[in-house]
Amino acid sequence: MPEIEFTIDESTGAMEAHIKGIPGPGCEDIQKLIEKIMGKPTTQERTPEYSVPVRPTTQIRPKG
Amino acid sequence: MSKYLTFADIVFADREVLLAALAEIGYGREKIEEGMNLPLYGYRGDKRAETAEIVIRRQFTGIQASNDIGFKKVSGGYSPIVSEYDERTLRNGHFRRDLRVAYAQQAVTKIQQELRGTIQIQRVAATAKAAAVTRIRLRY
Repeated sequence: MPEIEFTIDESTGAMEAHIKGIPGPGCEDIQKLIEKIMGKPTTQERTPEYSVPVRPTTQIRPKG
Repeated sequence: MSKYLTFADIVFADREVLLAALAEIGYGREKIEEGMNLPLYGYRGDKRAETAEIVIRRQFTGIQASNDIGFKKVSGGYSPIVSEYDERTLRNGHFRRDLRVAYAQQAVTKIQQELRGTIQIQRVAATAKAAAVTRIRLRY
């Protein structure tokens, strides 16, 4: 299940957002939503899951 | 784990979130004036050179001898205009920090609403080595 983990530093107000559970580049849309509200991130890093290819779904049709 | 973003400098990119954050720290809509190029006044009623689109007039700041506080619309969001005196005195010198924390929290609320997700909030107390943090897990 996709999730975003936010960490807010109470001494500075700085925030981190960790987008999880979305294979491949699908998290880009989530990042755009976050940036619309938070502005451009100071840093960004792709994590291992980003490189997982998104498998196309295949349908098996019954014969006849 | 897909992407990791950091926002060291909070930019007040969203007007509604900024207004919600201001309300959270005690400056509700009734204390806010909005418009284009609104003049800002100092504590003696002197007109300042700066203008802003969101203004908290000095009589609403809660501090004697305060100046107007403004938020100027710039590319990318709203930039605060706060005098040095007010930076030192408002909220015991923590106005900017408190607003940034409130903005971050209200931002998460707005993202939750957009994604129709659920959130879990955990507050981690400060230690000798690290400041207190609020962790919010948003599932959607």
